[in-house]
Amino acid sequence: MVDFGTAELTLEMVQASQLGMRALGAGLAVGLTGIGAGVAEMGIGSAAVGATAENRDMFGLALLLTVIPETIVIFGLVVALLLLF
Amino acid sequence: MLRPERMCRLLIAAPKGEIDTIVRELYRHNVYHIEDFVPESAAAESLSIGHPLSGASDAASALIKVRAIENACGIDPENVETREKLPASKVRAMIQTDLPVIQKEAEDLIASRSRLEARQKEHEQRARELEPFAAVPLDLEFYRGYTRFTVFAGHIAHDVTIDVPHEKYFSDRVSGNMIVVVVQIEHREQVERTLLDAGFQAIPVPEETGAPADRLKDHLEEGRRIADEIAEVNAKIAGIRERHTDFLVACDELLTADVERAEAPLRFATTEETFITEGWVPGDRADRIREALEKVTNGRIYIEELEVDDDARVPVEYENPSFASPTQVLMDIYARPRYSELDPTLMVAIVFPIFFGMILGDVGYGAVLLVLSLVLRKFLKSDEGRMLLKVLSYASISSIIFGVLYSEFFGFPLPWPPLIFSRHLNIGGEAGGHGPQVAELMIVAIWIGILHITLGRILGMINARKLYHGKHATKAVIANAGWLGTMWGIIILIWSFYAIPMMPDLTGFPVAIAVGVVLLVAGVIGIAQENPLEVVELPTIVSHVLSYARLVAVGLSSVAIAMVINFIAIGMMIEPQLEVITPVGVIIIIVGILVLLVGHALNTALGLLGGGLHSIRLHYVEFFTKFYKGGGKKYNPFGMKSKFTEE
Repeated sequence: MVDFGTAELTLEMVQASQLGMRALGAGLAVGLTGIGAGVAEMGIGSAAVGATAENRDMFGLALLLTVIPETIVIFGLVVALLLLF
Repeated sequence: MLRPERMCRLLIAAPKGEIDTIVRELYRHNVYHIEDFVPESAAAESLSIGHPLSGASDAASALIKVRAIENACGIDPENVETREKLPASKVRAMIQTDLPVIQKEAEDLIASRSRLEARQKEHEQRARELEPFAAVPLDLEFYRGYTRFTVFAGHIAHDVTIDVPHEKYFSDRVSGNMIVVVVQIEHREQVERTLLDAGFQAIPVPEETGAPADRLKDHLEEGRRIADEIAEVNAKIAGIRERHTDFLVACDELLTADVERAEAPLRFATTEETFITEGWVPGDRADRIREALEKVTNGRIYIEELEVDDDARVPVEYENPSFASPTQVLMDIYARPRYSELDPTLMVAIVFPIFFGMILGDVGYGAVLLVLSLVLRKFLKSDEGRMLLKVLSYASISSIIFGVLYSEFFGFPLPWPPLIFSRHLNIGGEAGGHGPQVAELMIVAIWIGILHITLGRILGMINARKLYHGKHATKAVIANAGWLGTMWGIIILIWSFYAIPMMPDLTGFPVAIAVGVVLLVAGVIGIAQENPLEVVELPTIVSHVLSYARLVAVGLSSVAIAMVINFIAIGMMIEPQLEVITPVGVIIIIVGILVLLVGHALNTALGLLGGGLHSIRLHYVEFFTKFYKGGGKKYNPFGMKSKFTEE
């Protein structure tokens, strides 16, 4: 058994672990916001497809409304990039 | 430029006798947008909708015939290239002489084709029914006509044993197996139960005679023979298409014009002796059409220029320099500008390719998309498709330019260091240089956002003055100024608390805080005076500006995918195998090349979608919402550009 109380943490270990935490944070930022954007786009997308099927002229507006929640995941990506670099 | 073409509202009145001449002249000029006459119940009863000109129904029925032939032969006038223009008089003569012959020929061929197809279907059906019986060595007449026996024929899950006197054939060579059992009629129920327990499904015995295998062969052969005949008929139909396409599309065009002309009076108001029509012509063409109409009617016409009162009724035609006109298709997808509104097409035409290039700045991908847009132009014949391809080719040129600046070629660095900011990620751990300058790129993107939105708000102030009148206009202008003030107030406050690279450093100036607070408060008041509920929207100031970070984020993800593909394909698969060549290694190298090609093809598609959608979205959502209303009517002049005929 390793005794964690007395095991020595070298500076390299601390730095490596911090690096890992940063990577984890970046992954969470992209992943969770991706889920959020997906959930938001789900409802809009199905309604938009329905509206476009009824009236072709709706396509532009439908596309526009569908990509609005994309901002969420872009924010996630921005946060992740700032964390990593 | 920056505003739709000026329109002139004309009222034309003339005696009914001149209606034909006037309609013909208007149609020839192809500039007059007819405003449909709508009879109001309360209006004077003397005004009513006009009657179609004589010959309308003849032309319409001839047109239906032409369209039917075109349909049958698979001719789409939209996609036909003009070889030579036929003179209208010749086409008219041919409509009398040749059209009935072609029609008869086409109708006969279509009829015989559908007859043949019906027969072919029947033979196929028979063959399907016979197929299971071909597995049993019994002639078909042995299945019926008994008084003391009963015959079971059908599919069954597995063979069964039957304990009464019987004759049985079983075959598992056909799908679903085949069983035929003949028993005396008194054992019928008992045998049926046994069979049903084994999953028996009866099938009807075909009403034919002879050996089923022979009959099956006959039907299949007959089906093949008919298929050959159908192919022959199809070749004949293709022959009609080959010979008569030019004539048919010319007929279509001429008759469409005839019908449109003949039905124009349905859009006019008439009294007993005269007719009146209102419509729109571009301002610079008004005089010319006036003179032309007066000339052809010898002055027996009254034309008056009316005032433009309601801008929602005016048809809108773009007026842009030629390089910007393809971008109109992107405007139409959102909404055509209103008549009195600013037309932002020119700005979109300039900024859209820049955004696209910033996102997909790669010489390789840009070149692929450029070639793609040039090649597809050969296949896409519709106007809208061609305009979109033009926009794409401008965007890909911009992508190549940014690729040179970023020094990127399919994710590889070019021989020079990035001329602006580097986007080279450290994938595979072998990157040189100083790595990606993400923070700097982000700040540039935010700057672009701030400037783009500021421009949008300034346009919003100009637009508000154009669209609204009186107090409403002033309020709208102040609200737009309020949004601008709030945004800059927030920005100045941030600058005075934090020093951000590449942005003004105001941390040492306490006065900046005061300026920021004043701007912010004044801005919020400015917004609230138009509509207090708008204050709820304040967070969009931050989110809209930050939204421009996608210019970097989407671009970096595309770079990352490209570099990962390169690393997997070249670094992990191809290069290690090149050191010692083995047979397995060769296969791995081939797979690596495949990975490289498929990966970059996918990333090109992603780059096109990402670059295009995100750039246009920044315009639609972040830019247009600041000033643009849209909803103008499309200018649709009465007339036609003749493609296949000439007078």
